Amino acid sequence: MDQSLSLGRSISPWLEMGSYEALWKQGWASFKKLAECFREKPDAAPSDLVPRETAEKTAHEALEILRKANVRHFGLRIHKAGEYPERLRDAHYPVELLYYRGWWDLIQTRCVAVVGTRKPTPEGQARAARLVKSLVEDKFTIVSGLAAGIDTIAHRTAIECGARTVGVIGTPLSHSYPAANKHLQEQIAQDYLLISQVPIVRYSQQGWKINRLFFPERNVTMSALTEATIIVEASETSGTLIQARAAIHQERKLFILDNCFKNPELTWPARFESQGAIRVRDYEDIRTNLASTP
Amino acid sequence: MPLRLSQVDELIRPDHFYLAEGDECYFIGEYSARQGYAYSATNQLIFNLKKKPHLRGTPQWPHKLEAIRTAARQFAKCISAEWLHKATLVPMPPSRVKGDPGYDDRVYRILREIGTLLDGNVDVRELLIQNESIEPFHERGGGRRPTPEEIAENYHLDDTLRNPPPSIIGIFDDVLTTGSHFKGAKLVLEDAFPGTRIVGVFLARRVPETVDVEDLFMNLDG
Repeated sequence: MDQSLSLGRSISPWLEMGSYEALWKQGWASFKKLAECFREKPDAAPSDLVPRETAEKTAHEALEILRKANVRHFGLRIHKAGEYPERLRDAHYPVELLYYRGWWDLIQTRCVAVVGTRKPTPEGQARAARLVKSLVEDKFTIVSGLAAGIDTIAHRTAIECGARTVGVIGTPLSHSYPAANKHLQEQIAQDYLLISQVPIVRYSQQGWKINRLFFPERNVTMSALTEATIIVEASETSGTLIQARAAIHQERKLFILDNCFKNPELTWPARFESQGAIRVRDYEDIRTNLASTP
Repeated sequence: MPLRLSQVDELIRPDHFYLAEGDECYFIGEYSARQGYAYSATNQLIFNLKKKPHLRGTPQWPHKLEAIRTAARQFAKCISAEWLHKATLVPMPPSRVKGDPGYDDRVYRILREIGTLLDGNVDVRELLIQNESIEPFHERGGGRRPTPEEIAENYHLDDTLRNPPPSIIGIFDDVLTTGSHFKGAKLVLEDAFPGTRIVGVFLARRVPETVDVEDLFMNLDG
């Protein structure tokens, strides 16, 4: 009997990855549905819900996709296993598993998300770069979503300043979007930290129209992983506002640059300010408000 | 939510060169420090655990003692009490032998602390003794790292602790790197106790492309 006595419930990363991917292959799966499923079964891991054979087969499928995309080293963060960031549980529909490449340790530094529109004005571009330089001087790690526009400026400025940056992407590790950021994504994966919650197999099996729904979902995770979100510029319909809502819900600090308030076409800045967002007239507004958080 | 152990399975086994399919190994966290910095709780824990004996009596030493207690608590939380009561817990021998000024029995102390947490009802045995001190890799100026067979040759079994024969053996260590020390220890214990299940239990595994914790020390010391 001692030959098989268990050390306790343990996590097999291979089986959890396969099970997570297999759950996502089912038509009903969404971050909301999966989170509800695990909320009902708080003791369960993905592998408790999927037959072993299915999990192994799907893990092979996912691995094959990653290999074809030349992703050699990647890691997993699994709820209930070591290194899973408990901060993720503040999300409305927390993810059970994350993929990452690079230097996981960065997630434990003081992280601030700098986000905004994919089509910034020249002033917005300059503001984003200036903001990142100030944050870097204060030793913050710059987190963003590797999208075009503000995200790209945020990552690039951090790298140019010799600082740390983290990319939270809306594609699986096997893909990048936009194509123009493929090299930047690879650089972040190699030298910094790249995070994705997007299921690899499901993504490869469905079209762009459905896959684009993964983008706003990663904004929720980005907010949960960081201590604050700063919005540089965003339109009334921008996906950035998903992150703003998430930050308020997750009780993270939300900063909105003053120029957004001055744009008469925008109603969201005042709305979020009434919910607790901080209007940033000067970088000192950010510095003072972040000084008090650990 | 209590933490669970993770298994070294087919996905991550290739990160640990000497481990093969039949090697049963578990770990709690991942050691992932790079560039001379350690930010995560696990990296800090390993960093504090590995503080060298010459720091005894300095303000750094209490961090090491606290790390030993923390490691013991983590093991005691993640591993079932039934298993801890049934198994014989064996510390991986330190790289320096007893009597050497660099002798560091931190893993043995962690196991004894687990015993304290479980009301003393735990079989902790220093079954493996190292014959000669080994210079840490970076202090030897690089070169080839020893194979499990070479490591085994430098170990012998403490015959005075042989009985009663263990029913399960848990070899404990702080960081799993290539798995060479685990395999070396397993060779000696398999020889002494044929047919006995031998399990490796680690506080953390080192993920690829991270710096060696000893090198990290060098960077921080420098």
